[in-house]
Amino acid sequence: MKYVIARTAGEALGALTLENGKALIMAGGSDIMVELIEEKRSEDILIDVTQAKDMKGIRVENEHLVIGAAATMTEIHTNPIVKEYFPSLAKGTGSVGSLQIRNSATLAGNVVSAQPAADGAMALAPLNAQFVVLTTQGTKIVPFSEMYAGIGKSSLDPHREVIKEIRIPLSEPDEKASFIRLELRKSLSLPMLSVSAMLKYKEGRVEWSRICMAPVGVGPVRALKAEEYLWGKELTPTVMAKAGELAAENAAFRSNPLRGSKEYRRHSLPVLVRRALEDIADQLGVL
Amino acid sequence: MENLNVTVNGKFYSVQVDPSIRLVDFIRDNLFLTGTKVGCGKGECGACTVIMNGVSVNSCLIPVMRAEGADIETIEGLSDGGRLHPIQEEFIEKGAIQCGFCTPGMIMSAKALLDQNINPTVDEVREALGGNICRCTGYVKIEEAVLCAAERMRNEGK
Ligand code: FES
Ligand code: FES
Repeated sequence: MKYVIARTAGEALGALTLENGKALIMAGGSDIMVELIEEKRSEDILIDVTQAKDMKGIRVENEHLVIGAAATMTEIHTNPIVKEYFPSLAKGTGSVGSLQIRNSATLAGNVVSAQPAADGAMALAPLNAQFVVLTTQGTKIVPFSEMYAGIGKSSLDPHREVIKEIRIPLSEPDEKASFIRLELRKSLSLPMLSVSAMLKYKEGRVEWSRICMAPVGVGPVRALKAEEYLWGKELTPTVMAKAGELAAENAAFRSNPLRGSKEYRRHSLPVLVRRALEDIADQLGVL
Repeated sequence: MENLNVTVNGKFYSVQVDPSIRLVDFIRDNLFLTGTKVGCGKGECGACTVIMNGVSVNSCLIPVMRAEGADIETIEGLSDGGRLHPIQEEFIEKGAIQCGFCTPGMIMSAKALLDQNINPTVDEVREALGGNICRCTGYVKIEEAVLCAAERMRNEGK
């Protein structure tokens, strides 16, 4: 095996291009290493981007929060700007795996691994993020909603494309987000269910909302029925409970031997959606 | 084979390694520092925890070449010429060890925490050790040992 340490995003793309589909981009590696060990994957060449200077760091630029694709979960979780604008993202990135994993795993990797209930990806899902991706044809911008091609399958090709950074439009004071997980234990365990949401509340009405749920399909699944229902409504206890019920209509529940039966999940999801909305209402000071 | 430059427990190594191995394999099989254990081999137990550039990591998930230029601490680096580190002493004192398999990882997670925060809350200790699983002792004594070690280190001005 060959191991290349890329110093910049451009260098990583150059190395990928040179190897013409035979090399794989790797950031934290917490998923890739397990797949390699378990022989679910074999790779001849790994391109490590953890040292790529222009892929590190978290900053505000042009009204966007910019998170380098090589920034670790811990760096995001503890970053003061993230905490200020997107406390739900700080919470989600702080819920992944364990501290040791968060010290190397990345948010970009969490999305590319495409596991539906990934905490980092779920917390990011309603924030309208865009991915800046370097390809041989130039730089492309991929919205979060187009990042998933299947369970465990990204729409990006990590043998040919490099995510440089994630850009999130900064939230206005009347826009709040929430991330909630139903968990068996806090560390080292995937949630039984998770819900994330963001909405804009103007003059006592919901102007727009984005509600995401997992694991109920491919990647974070949008609760479109609930979002449509919330449009123009006041956030009252009845409205939030009703939105929770409607959310289940967009979810496909499956049983998991460790993390809850289909029926249990079906009953719990409306409660979680309601709690996420209550959390937002609380942040907005309307409850 | 590729050349690797790495500092482990304060000692600098410049060696040829197979780039496909994990950091834990290098530590155990090349340097013979067998205090670092392999439990699950996939990031779920913390037995392989070492400190890399100041933060705790699972050495079973780190490709060896990522350690290029890094500063690594393992359990063997903790004692000072035969004198145990306060965290080690408190683990013994409080009975926070039974079979001992999880202990090096637990202690390295605790050390990474106390190096940055000498006055942690119970929740901070739990967060720092949440990635380490013990199948014998339970966690009460371990938590106690870390909190007592922190107190001692504060008093000793370490
Ligand atoms: S052996 Fe590394 S986490 Fe279990
Ligand atoms: S003492 Fe045996 S696993 Fe912890």
